[in-house]
Amino acid sequence: MAKATTSIRRQLILMVATVLIVINVIALWSAHIYANRAAKESYDRLLYGSALQMAENINLLDSQFFIDLPVSAFETLALSTSDRAFYSIMNGQYQVLTGYKDLPSIPFTQLLQQSIEKEKFVPIYYEAMYHGETVRFVALGKRLLEADSVNDVFIIVGQTLDARRAAATEISHMALQFVTLFFFITLLLLLFVIWRVLQPLQAIKQAITERSPQELSPLEAKVPSEIAPLLKSINYFMAQLDNTLIRLKRFTAEAAHQIRTPLAGLNSQAQNALDETDEELRQKQLQHILESSNVLTNTVNQLLSRATLTHRYQSHPFSPVALDHVIKETCRELVVWALERQVEIEYIGDIQVTIKGDEFALKQMLQNIIENAIKYSPKGGVVEVELMMMDELSQTSIVLQIRDQGVGVPDQDKEHIFEYFYRSPDNFASGSGIGLSIAKEVAEHHDARFHLKDNQPTGLIVEVIFSQQKGLSYES
Amino acid sequence: MKVSCLLGLCFILLSQMVFADSGQQSSYVAFPSLDKKLNQQEAVLIVHGAINHQAISPLFRAYQERYPNIAIHYTESNTRHLYEQFISQPNTRPDVMLSPAMDLQFKLANDGYALAYDSPELVNVPKDSHWRNELFGFTYEPIVTAINADILAGAALPQSREQLLNLIRSKNHLLDDKIGLFDIQQSGFGYLAWAYDGQQSRSYGRLLEAFGTHQARLYTETSLMLNALLKGQIFVAYNLVGAYSYQWSQAYSWIKTIMPTDYTTIIMRTAFIPRDAKQATLAKRFIDLLLSPEGQHILANQSGVTPISTKVKGPYSRDELSKLPHGIFRPIPLGLELLLQTDDAKKRLIYHEWDSAMLYAPNDSTP
Repeated sequence: MAKATTSIRRQLILMVATVLIVINVIALWSAHIYANRAAKESYDRLLYGSALQMAENINLLDSQFFIDLPVSAFETLALSTSDRAFYSIMNGQYQVLTGYKDLPSIPFTQLLQQSIEKEKFVPIYYEAMYHGETVRFVALGKRLLEADSVNDVFIIVGQTLDARRAAATEISHMALQFVTLFFFITLLLLLFVIWRVLQPLQAIKQAITERSPQELSPLEAKVPSEIAPLLKSINYFMAQLDNTLIRLKRFTAEAAHQIRTPLAGLNSQAQNALDETDEELRQKQLQHILESSNVLTNTVNQLLSRATLTHRYQSHPFSPVALDHVIKETCRELVVWALERQVEIEYIGDIQVTIKGDEFALKQMLQNIIENAIKYSPKGGVVEVELMMMDELSQTSIVLQIRDQGVGVPDQDKEHIFEYFYRSPDNFASGSGIGLSIAKEVAEHHDARFHLKDNQPTGLIVEVIFSQQKGLSYES
Repeated sequence: MKVSCLLGLCFILLSQMVFADSGQQSSYVAFPSLDKKLNQQEAVLIVHGAINHQAISPLFRAYQERYPNIAIHYTESNTRHLYEQFISQPNTRPDVMLSPAMDLQFKLANDGYALAYDSPELVNVPKDSHWRNELFGFTYEPIVTAINADILAGAALPQSREQLLNLIRSKNHLLDDKIGLFDIQQSGFGYLAWAYDGQQSRSYGRLLEAFGTHQARLYTETSLMLNALLKGQIFVAYNLVGAYSYQWSQAYSWIKTIMPTDYTTIIMRTAFIPRDAKQATLAKRFIDLLLSPEGQHILANQSGVTPISTKVKGPYSRDELSKLPHGIFRPIPLGLELLLQTDDAKKRLIYHEWDSAMLYAPNDSTP
């Protein structure tokens, strides 16, 4: 069963929301920084403008400072309506000419230092506590020349920070409003986009639910290229399923037939035996019944073992299997049974191979092939089992050969002997016709190929070629 | 009600106590609480103001009707004295300061002497009538010129400063020693009005010259100037507080009050609560009343000064004021511009101009 871990939609929404939040938080943070800087710069300019206007109106008249401050300097300051303002004008000896007499420490040294470096006075901004509030000051110097005397005058203008804080807050608030609006609009759009993109999946789901369980024809739905492989897989899977179902149906019918026929035979033979008066003939008939019963038992066993194997394919994961070891063990198990039929089993090969696979299934495969070889061997024959390495198309493969000395299989039958219940018309040995097909299934399950060859002078060679697997290891 | 009527009588008897304070004219009026209980410590709201106590007492009465167990002590003095006392005597600071000298009031607020109070009544008054929740403008008063109409001998009243100059020129020696002005070095209000003229008017220099050459007399208070006008000591009084002048015009028909038509300066009386007020809560209640529709209504109907609110009705409301002939109303902005008026260098310049012009002016600040 497929496990539903998390929904794509939920994941997408979560991710999109996270990304949006991160972006918006960054945007807000930058807006906040920008707002503070913008407010600071614009109000600094007002401060500077006011100081400049004051400086403009300071002149020398008969070696006396003549100060007539313009109202515009104060009007400039008044643009920040809720801030206190302080100012002071000092001469070169730092005596207050007009304005506030107790302004906090003024960076005169810095002011003079900079004026020397840059050969003119540049404004210096600084913040200080005054009258219980933080005040931002600008200090400006002005050099007045008269005849041969040089007089410096300093203008200091300060203002509290309410207006800039308010401006920064206002810009921040605007940014917040904008970002919030942007966030919700983007989220809505993205939700729509997610819904729209996931729509084809919904369509596939709809198409599958609406089908009857018997209908396995390919789904016809228009889907985006990313989802097309999924649809293809589904269709492939359904085709496989269809195929399997057909094969299963055929197998069931054939199996029923295979079981019903010997049962009917048994029935009539038993009937005959009941009616037979001749003791000798009856013995023969009973012997026949026993043989038929054995064949039937064999067939049923094979069918059950196949069912077990099919179940294993689905439930058992592969694990490392020492292939050579399994082969030797199987040969050993079959040796007594072979000897009863006067056939010898000979294991050739001295390599050690470990592959990934299902040991039980592999054993079933080997049993079936070797049993088959023994079954078709003449009395006194030898079944050779050889495990070897072969270079094939610059790839090293593991090859298992089982060689018998029986009559062999005609070429026209070679491609059919792996089919269920297939029996060559001139086959005389007893058998269910399932063994080899099981073997072939196991081989396919392990990505191995089957190959049939004629043995010399007579007989059949069954070749199982394990292609190179990951994790395959062998030693000579 | 009976009790309050009785006590009201009591208040009239007690209220007329006038005494001199450190050489300057100050008057002190006590308004005892309306229902003082025996042995109970009386809460006192101390108010210092440059507003005629007759004009402000209706407000005090309304305050005491709201809070009957509070007494009010009101000291009235001129604007400059009020300011200097505030700075130099921290121990005698009031709970409420009222003054029309906007620049001095503003300077005190700017320098952090005022207590911030976010009054819920601020919604009733225009936005630019208060500053930082510290300084509250509560009146809207024109600065006017008063003229003795008799001297015109039937000629038209001068309506603008230009016409006033023409009048002075045409009457020439008749007006020698007969023009009354505020002594801008003594009166904060006078300085504010004069300095503002300097910013606004092209006729400022010529006016100063005309006043100087006619040996204008200098006064420290509107009432003194109006008295002089009544007695015939002066014929023209320039830059008076409108409310008082109009009252005198109503009482004496030959005293005409003019709002100059070139521009009419408007000042606001402002109130603030000093930061170290002992009765800050009582003071806040007083500010609330002052700005409330009720307080503004009292101003418009009983005190004779024009309230700041545009919504109240009454004989002294802004509506009524704007029906009188006037120039463009130019309210002195309540903001940092006022700092210029307090600037020492500026003040020295203006004083210097003034002194040079008024070299021969007789000083009538003490009658």
